[in-house]
Amino acid sequence: MTEPQANGAAPADLVSPDGRTPVGLVVGTVSASPLEFSVGVAPDQFLQLDDVVVTRRALPDGGEVRIAGVVTGVEAGHEGARFASDVFLIEQGALPAEVSEVAEVTVTRVEPEVYVPPRPGTAVVRATGADRDSALYFDTMADAKLPVGLGRDGQPVYLNFEFVDGTRGGHVSISGVSGIATKTSFATFLLHSIFNSGVLAGEAHNTKALIFSVKGEDLLFLDYANARLTEEFRARYAHLGLPADSFRNVQVFAPPRPGDPSGTPDVRARDKAVSPFYWTLAEFCEQELMPFVFADGEDERSQYTMLIGQVAARLKRDHQKVGKDGAVQVTGVDPGRGGQLRSFEQLVGLIEDELLDEDTRRDWVAGSTSTGSVNAFLRRLRSAVRPLSTIIRSDLADRGDRSLSTSQAQVTVVDLHNLPDRAQRFVVGVSLRQEFRRKEEQGTARPLMFIVLDELNKYAPRDGDSPIKQILLDVAERGRSLGVILIGAQQTASEVERRIVANCSIRVAGRLDPAEASRPEYGYLPPAQRQRATIAKPGTMFVSQPDIPVPLAIEFPFPAWATRSSEKGTWNGVDTGPATPEDPFAGMGADDDDDPPPF
Amino acid sequence: MTGLLSPPSYTVDPWDPGYGVARGDELDGRESSATLELDLELPASEWRPVTPGGGPLPGSVLFLDGVRRIDARVWVHADEPEPQPGVVASLAAGLVCCDSSARILDVAVDRGLYAETGEDIKTRHATYTFRHTPGGLDKLTLGVQARLAALEVELATAWRRDSNVEDDLLVVDGPLRGRTHLARTVGYVKTHQKSYLQPEQAAVVAALEPGQRSPVFGMGTSWERTSWYLRLPGATRAPWSAVVRLECAADLPTEDARALADVTARVLPTLASSPHKDPRAPQNLVPIGGLERQLRHRLGDAGLLYRALRGALA
Repeated sequence: MTEPQANGAAPADLVSPDGRTPVGLVVGTVSASPLEFSVGVAPDQFLQLDDVVVTRRALPDGGEVRIAGVVTGVEAGHEGARFASDVFLIEQGALPAEVSEVAEVTVTRVEPEVYVPPRPGTAVVRATGADRDSALYFDTMADAKLPVGLGRDGQPVYLNFEFVDGTRGGHVSISGVSGIATKTSFATFLLHSIFNSGVLAGEAHNTKALIFSVKGEDLLFLDYANARLTEEFRARYAHLGLPADSFRNVQVFAPPRPGDPSGTPDVRARDKAVSPFYWTLAEFCEQELMPFVFADGEDERSQYTMLIGQVAARLKRDHQKVGKDGAVQVTGVDPGRGGQLRSFEQLVGLIEDELLDEDTRRDWVAGSTSTGSVNAFLRRLRSAVRPLSTIIRSDLADRGDRSLSTSQAQVTVVDLHNLPDRAQRFVVGVSLRQEFRRKEEQGTARPLMFIVLDELNKYAPRDGDSPIKQILLDVAERGRSLGVILIGAQQTASEVERRIVANCSIRVAGRLDPAEASRPEYGYLPPAQRQRATIAKPGTMFVSQPDIPVPLAIEFPFPAWATRSSEKGTWNGVDTGPATPEDPFAGMGADDDDDPPPF
Repeated sequence: MTGLLSPPSYTVDPWDPGYGVARGDELDGRESSATLELDLELPASEWRPVTPGGGPLPGSVLFLDGVRRIDARVWVHADEPEPQPGVVASLAAGLVCCDSSARILDVAVDRGLYAETGEDIKTRHATYTFRHTPGGLDKLTLGVQARLAALEVELATAWRRDSNVEDDLLVVDGPLRGRTHLARTVGYVKTHQKSYLQPEQAAVVAALEPGQRSPVFGMGTSWERTSWYLRLPGATRAPWSAVVRLECAADLPTEDARALADVTARVLPTLASSPHKDPRAPQNLVPIGGLERQLRHRLGDAGLLYRALRGALA
């Protein structure tokens, strides 16, 4: 019997049962399993990483199992070559050989759930339309489809919003090296999508976001259109079903400009909807903010931590408000020191004097406290004076707009980039606690409150303890039910408290450092994606969600809002305006800096 | 005593011992009964190495080769008191075209039962066609060989019929035998078990430089061929190493045979294989080595076929 056979290559006229041209056939040289199989790619076809494919397997009872998956690896090789140098012979036309391409497919969905492997030789087709939606579980998401970007095939990729909003899971963790991973851009894009995609239905208007801007001014232009947004990018937004618009309702809080007696916010890049923020000494005493002065991770091991609570309790008990600008007077102190306090330095001075005085010390702290602990406490407190004196003060006239609050706008940006590290921690800790308490008192999870915080590894490090870490842990563990959703970003997820990362249902990775990518925190990325994450381009993210067993590589569109001063287009925001002072120029000296006044 | 003055030196034969040696040790012309016609190109007394001249090269070079494998030996129980021997064999023949790239044009696989009596054997994985082959065990092997040669000819004829290429060169692995009628065809012989030349001419062959050939000569006994020797690059100190013999049909005019010899001397040396890749280097040409590997692959899994055969004949 003669078996005339065409040359090794697969015939070009492969046709699958449903008439679509298959991209290849399931190979038999690599064992196929219900969870993973390999596809021999037909000569005139190609498969790339992240392509979605589907194959079918008939069952003896007449039923059919649809096995869909995502390409997680592709390999090409010469068949017929045994030595590396054979490639030259093959290219010179001396040695006959065949180029073969084999794609490894990780199964995402088996429908109905009969876990059988596809049979070698079965046609595999590219999944499009309903097949793709089914393969990636988009069909099960119903109203909770949150567009997060475009897949490698140019089609929208969705997140299941039920895993973001707390229904079934919550919190988002974004990792990646700074500069290239565009973590904050992705976080803001996610917010844009949440607000505008319709997943929030009627709540879209009341849902809030609190963004801490720790690096540069790039988050201060969220309500400016991006002047560099091209038609191509607009088309991508349209493809995702999102408006190519900036945020509309943004309030920026910035610390007062140092040395400016009128307390104007220290922001050079924008002049609309900006408010200063600081805490008065009265608030400092009343709300027991003292622990946040000591928000460094190392403090927890020291002996003086007990003193913090004791001093804070005394301040709360014995302070008296003086005037309407938040100045205080502490009662029961040595008569010589009982004056009015208007600055943080004065408050620290008072505490110093009182604690160093043997007679008055026991009115503040327990009698058994050692002088060593007191000295350590005072040393730390004294070193906080410089960083914190711009944001804890009572020397400015209260114009009624200086409280950090999320009630004024949908998106509240707290600009911390001008503040020293210690002050950043203080602001983050205090404002997080404040918002968390507000939600606790509110009693309902809805409308949601999103908190965007970069450098999570700084605020909630894996080792050590601090008041901020406690609050962040609270947010991570209880926030879901209270409607507080954390969108945390960090360069290294491995340095963030494990319980926080573990509580994030959605994990996102941009470009990763190679050493970082090999850490177990990125176990959700299959090896090929980990390797790819080390070369990911800006704008490319790997999104893992509980619904889909494989993280999906997405590209999110260029921000439709300005991310730097040079991109500023038209302003789309709302400015309810600060309470206009009676004399806008009060306190402004002639020799003030050259900047135009911010109003 | 001279042996003591100059200690012996050695050369390891380049071929894998499993393939024997390329050159027998009795190449002094005594063994062959072939009639020689040495004066075709140059008078016998003026024999010298020939460096090929210019001229057009073929647009493509085709290589034809086949492999065979005995899948099983069987005993056929028929009316005779003694069971008769039979051979179940798989054959594969293929054709490679080398122009700018090397590609396998066609492959034919043939499975057969070679015996005096019998019928087709259908197994789970293959059907073995019965081929009447009288004679003993040796004849059976010859029958397999003959079938392979026929298969190769079928393949080459079919290709020549279907393609309209006029300037190709077909290189058949092994002597031409029944394939002399194919046009533009040379036989490529890697081993020299018999000497056809007299010692003076044999010395010319031994003196060939890589890429040089001997003058063409005629030879024949029951068959007639025009033949020439060619040295490939990669020679060692082994006698006649890297020397191959080529042959074409004897009815080709001497001038055409000379041109053909020149073409082979220019085309084939570039395709010589290297010792670490081929156990019969350099004589086993790269395209042929690659083709043989593919063909062996096409024969199918020996164990699987053997089990299927046992299952079918149980």
